[in-house]
Amino acid sequence: MKKAVGITPTGHSSPLAVVRKNLSLYLMLVPGVLYLIIFKYIPIGGLVMAFQDFNVFAGFTGSEWVGLAQFQKLFASPDFYKIFRNTLLINTYKIIFVFPLPIMLAIMLNEIRCMPLKKVSQTVIYLPHFLSWIIVSGLFINILSPSGGLVNQMITAFGGEPIFFMSDNRWFRTVLVLTDAWKEMGWSAIVYIAAIAGVEQELYEAATVDGASKLQQIWHVTLPGIISTIVLMFILKLGSIMSGGFDQVLTMYNASVYETGDIIQTYVYRIGLGKMQYSFSAAVGMFNSVIGLVLTVAGNMVSRRLAGRSIW
Amino acid sequence: MERNRFAKRRMKVSVQDRAVSVVCYLFVLFMVAVTFLPFLNVVSKAVSSESMVISGQISFYPKEFQLGTLKAVMGSKVFLNSFKISVLVTVLGSVGSLFITVITAYPLSKKQLPFIKGLLVFFVITMLFSGGMVPTYMLVKGIGLLDSLGALIMPMLLSVYNMLIVKNYYEGLPESLEEAAKIDGAGNIRILLQVILPLSTPVLATIGLFYMVSYWNDYFNALIYISDPSLKPLQLYLREMILQSSQMASQMDFTIDDVMNKSPDGIRSAAVVAVTLPILVVYPFVQKYFVKGITMGSVKG
Repeated sequence: MKKAVGITPTGHSSPLAVVRKNLSLYLMLVPGVLYLIIFKYIPIGGLVMAFQDFNVFAGFTGSEWVGLAQFQKLFASPDFYKIFRNTLLINTYKIIFVFPLPIMLAIMLNEIRCMPLKKVSQTVIYLPHFLSWIIVSGLFINILSPSGGLVNQMITAFGGEPIFFMSDNRWFRTVLVLTDAWKEMGWSAIVYIAAIAGVEQELYEAATVDGASKLQQIWHVTLPGIISTIVLMFILKLGSIMSGGFDQVLTMYNASVYETGDIIQTYVYRIGLGKMQYSFSAAVGMFNSVIGLVLTVAGNMVSRRLAGRSIW
Repeated sequence: MERNRFAKRRMKVSVQDRAVSVVCYLFVLFMVAVTFLPFLNVVSKAVSSESMVISGQISFYPKEFQLGTLKAVMGSKVFLNSFKISVLVTVLGSVGSLFITVITAYPLSKKQLPFIKGLLVFFVITMLFSGGMVPTYMLVKGIGLLDSLGALIMPMLLSVYNMLIVKNYYEGLPESLEEAAKIDGAGNIRILLQVILPLSTPVLATIGLFYMVSYWNDYFNALIYISDPSLKPLQLYLREMILQSSQMASQMDFTIDDVMNKSPDGIRSAAVVAVTLPILVVYPFVQKYFVKGITMGSVKG
């Protein structure tokens, strides 16, 4: 192993001596560390308000400690089951219906031999990822509007009744799932496209010599080649099952679809910053973060075991 | 005989193959159309006459073409001011973010130095757990950033995810380059400036673009920290445009969609187009950097 002069600690120098020698490197870390302390760790510390009856005028030190009362209040509230169910359902639907799409898209794009067409398709399909949910919501509120909206124009042309997609509880989750697919499908496919590009070309050649059809090649060469990527992505997705979709729901929902669309984070936003029930909403947010943490860590362990890959 | 059967099988396979190809082309073209048509529709609405829009006659091409609505939206004082704020936040934010990302990523790439691994954990923890919306709001309020440009930049100044991508890139650079500079007597800072930075333009281009997109698209910080109308960025402007009608809806007990139609639909379409336009203009030129970035990101941290 090569040793960088002055950087690799030699057997004689103590860690502190090495630090002193490379002081400029450590000083470079100061802004980043300070930033994290102020903007990330202090808010984590601020979560103590979840165990208080926080009062803006009394502050953290003056507010009354209430133990787990905020959490008890949360679990006793009928809202809790509604937002918990909505969060879980919306994200589960997205996993079932949206997750396979980019895999299919990547495999099918790979079969396209006309390069200009492939390039243009990719450029178009990646684009929505770069638009904010505000723009995408604006776009779909227009398109789904019950009169004059594109979709309802078609429905009425075929003799149907216009559907109030954005304010109908029977439709709102479907709208969320479909618009999520529209926005992220192409971008999510990139990971699989890169994985497919990594599959050895000789495998395809060998399969062709053996007389394998395209379908057989996809099934026996392409899919096994990208399965570890699929597993990793799936586990990452599972990790976000309690936190996905905040921007989307916040920009698309309205009071008439709270029943089916209100998720944990939009609830925190409304109750916490809207109605200023700081302690209660901090408790709700903390509940959500803890579940997210457990899911991510567990998912990463599973992925390491199953696919030999992990996020860190 | 045997040969004949093989030929038959080959033919069957090639027919099937062709069918598979056709399905692939059709699927991809369908997806392209599905992605593209909503844009076509909203642009058509933005440049058609108000009466055509209100009577619901616009699908994929404009009728009674006019640019008045678009001009009115893009020329309005509110839009121009929001545009200015968005550009300012995007430029200042991205420059600041790139700076802090580089000076953090470079030392963290020196794994063999003492305490670096522990410091790395300190950074990664913030990706896994956060205080959440309410405590973060309290902090921003507490340090007096409410209603300032700082509130639009500081909460997203350092993305640990982006920093890890740059760190991984630095770890992949050949060590010999740095050694040579060391022997010439260069210090760590000079090495970073004169050896590492020139080598990292591709990764910095990608990460810079990631930051620019997240600043440009951010509305949430503006939504919760900004109440001064002169500081509202473009995304918030658009959100308020869209919401104006729905607030009316809750007051007057109309459904959101009802009001959408009574309000000037064309103006809303024009606002969507106007806010999307800057991205559409830049996007084709920088697309390849984004794609590079996501494949770089899949490298293990």
